[in-house]
Amino acid sequence: MSRQQSINSNQTGASTITAQSPLNRSLRTTGEEIWKRSERINAELFTLTYGAIVSQLCTDYGRNFVQINEELFQMGYNIGVRLIEDFLARTALPRCSDLQETSEVISKCAFKIFLNISPKVINWSNNKDAFSLLIEDNPLSDFVELPMDAMDQLWYSNVLCGVLKGALEMVQLDCDISFVSDILRGDQQTELRIKLNKILKDEIPIGED
Amino acid sequence: MAIETILIINKSGGLIYQRNFSDTFASKLNSNDFLIIASTIHSVFAIASQITPKALQITQNNVDYVIPYIPMVGMESSNPQQNRNNNLPVKLGSFKGPDYFKESFVSWNKSGLRQLNSDQFTMYIYQTMTGLKFVALSSNVLANKPASQIGNMDKGKAQNLASQVADNFLRKIYCVYCDYVMKDPFYSLEMPIKSELFDKKVKQMVGNLS
Repeated sequence: MSRQQSINSNQTGASTITAQSPLNRSLRTTGEEIWKRSERINAELFTLTYGAIVSQLCTDYGRNFVQINEELFQMGYNIGVRLIEDFLARTALPRCSDLQETSEVISKCAFKIFLNISPKVINWSNNKDAFSLLIEDNPLSDFVELPMDAMDQLWYSNVLCGVLKGALEMVQLDCDISFVSDILRGDQQTELRIKLNKILKDEIPIGED
Repeated sequence: MAIETILIINKSGGLIYQRNFSDTFASKLNSNDFLIIASTIHSVFAIASQITPKALQITQNNVDYVIPYIPMVGMESSNPQQNRNNNLPVKLGSFKGPDYFKESFVSWNKSGLRQLNSDQFTMYIYQTMTGLKFVALSSNVLANKPASQIGNMDKGKAQNLASQVADNFLRKIYCVYCDYVMKDPFYSLEMPIKSELFDKKVKQMVGNLS
């Protein structure tokens, strides 16, 4: 345990993290620890299952990609409002004090625990109410190549936007979330934009302050 | 700590789960009474967060909300007689054993009601960040036990420990809830929980505790 902690403190020193979990470990370590203690499924099975869902939606909606994007978002939303409980039960992280902290938690804990990736947080807006997640190895889009007609309309991983929307809403953060670019569409990078509209103060559970 | 009843109250004060593990409350209260109790707890919880006296707020402003991790609360006891292969990881739903979590954590419930002592029972409340309340009613009464029974700990300390054990335990119920209720595709949010698997797991954990 003591060795573990010395490693942790090195990491904390190296990075510029302000948010700390109860044991004063960095969020990155918390994310990794919890990822190690969670059951997983095979990544390829996961990727292929998601691919099958998207391709089935394409058939069902007659290749109306705008509608498919919406449907994926809605599916994600329904996952997100439930998944947040899982995240909170596993991490028991205290409420974030600002959006910067939230962005760290999303990238270093949430994405780490559920997808084993840590997207980079980039492109902060001037008033710090919006940021982008740079998803480098998107596990959803492995083996995927979009057909020509889907290239400029379909956001293949739109389910992620929905998940984030649902999860953040359950912790009283009303956000707009959408993809800005996707490697699958021929862009340079996969970028997901999160913009905080407002904190739903009335809905914060009583007794938390 | 013997638990008589577990309640789960959703964020709008509705009772979504209630189980009695003995006759203490079951014989006196019907399901309608529990619904009333649930919404009463919800309201009293809110009132309590508003009426902490100023004097207390000032003297107790350094209250520690960190709940220390108490190993294996409510888990199958890992005694050597069971001859269990320790190298094999224990499976707890989507959690890798031997325990649901291993570190101390900060309580989300800062100003609300956390513990209620009476001559007949003790009530513990664990509230999550999403507003869900997990309530445990225990028949253990710390209030009027003679000092000799508690040992050399003073009463305040014993109460504090019991509350920490309860928080550890209720967080585990939360873990079970997220596995067996949230991941049940047939469960609709905010509605009463009718999952048999969840029931079974909760029963097991309460059994392990006593």
